[in-house]
Amino acid sequence: MNELTPIEALAADYVLGQLDASERSAVAARLQREPALRAAVEAWERRLAPLNDLTVSVAPSTDLFAAIEARTSGSPPGTAADGNVVDLTRRLRRWRTATGLAGALAASLVIALAVREIDRPPATGNLVAVLQKDAASPAFVLTVDLSAKAFTVRSVAPERQADKSYELWLVSDKLPAPRSLGLVGQSEFDTRRALAGYDPAVIANATFAVSVEPKGGSPTGQPTGAVVYAGKLIQATP
Amino acid sequence: MTFDRTDLAVLLTRVATGDRAAFSALYRAAAPKLLGVILRILNRRDLAEEVLQEVFVRIWDRAGDFDAGAGAPLAWLSTIARNRALDSLRRRRETSIEDEPAAFEVPDAADDPAVQAERSADLKRLMGCLETLDEDKRRMVLLAYHQGLSRDELAARFNVPVGTVKTWLHRSLARLKECLGE
Repeated sequence: MNELTPIEALAADYVLGQLDASERSAVAARLQREPALRAAVEAWERRLAPLNDLTVSVAPSTDLFAAIEARTSGSPPGTAADGNVVDLTRRLRRWRTATGLAGALAASLVIALAVREIDRPPATGNLVAVLQKDAASPAFVLTVDLSAKAFTVRSVAPERQADKSYELWLVSDKLPAPRSLGLVGQSEFDTRRALAGYDPAVIANATFAVSVEPKGGSPTGQPTGAVVYAGKLIQATP
Repeated sequence: MTFDRTDLAVLLTRVATGDRAAFSALYRAAAPKLLGVILRILNRRDLAEEVLQEVFVRIWDRAGDFDAGAGAPLAWLSTIARNRALDSLRRRRETSIEDEPAAFEVPDAADDPAVQAERSADLKRLMGCLETLDEDKRRMVLLAYHQGLSRDELAARFNVPVGTVKTWLHRSLARLKECLGE
């Protein structure tokens, strides 16, 4: 049997996950500039990739894609075209039909909100968004008063993050990058008039996302941590 | 679930141009599979979903790197998912999370007859080659690949010295390469 060359052996260790964190990042850096190592890694990946067929698919939480959209909005490639975010109205309908609806609060929100189709939120009045990871775990309820350009965030049950802060972002395909609306989750209710600079249509159609940031908020002005909760606004009252 | 590799390749090409509808369709088609891949390594749903976010952010940024001539799109996507999951696992391992409970058990599809029946030709060929290895060596390769077990964990699991793990894995992969005719 042939022995592996040193390059092949290192590539095999990388692909089989046998390297520790610092070794992994060292190899990742070398992959950028060493075509021979890159070719060896890609060859092992190709040979072993059929093993992924053996893995069972697992459905992600309902709102994960909204969080991904929030993180990719405003970044290349291309510009956001038709903002394909899962909208809350559709989500609510899915909740209603889902069996084993979990969470009393989620259930009451469904009853309160999912009563009619909404094509386009109006430019006045009160709007509400449930910021959540999945249907069973709303973490923040965001209420927006479009006429006063103010919002209130009610902290329902966000997971505690020691030494971290939750930061709220407005994400819109009309804006080049997410805009911070400040830290949330420090008290049960936060009310702020931080929407004065935004067009009502932008607010009404935006995705609101909450990311986990270092204590005190993002050091860069952009989300730097994982987006853990996200949602879109719908009309709160008929 | 089966994937049409042509469809996925077309979606990736469209994502590379910034097509959000294609990105959404790609997510619907591939996210469950990729989450399965990540969960096998991280074993915790919260961590796995954070990594899945990172993976799709990366796919959005890197879709232009996909070369339809070089391989199957799902393999390309799974490789990104595995690498990000391994990065996360190794980073966390350094601050030792080994006491944390494995909150999420992922079923092993290898035991599922329905999944076996759907095995691709590539998988059958690879499994044929894996079966030429001794059972312990085959299991070691599969545990390293699927669950990201480290050298130390494999040594403990198989009750062999760490150096032996390294030797076995290298020899097994050399054998696979030869068997696959490369």
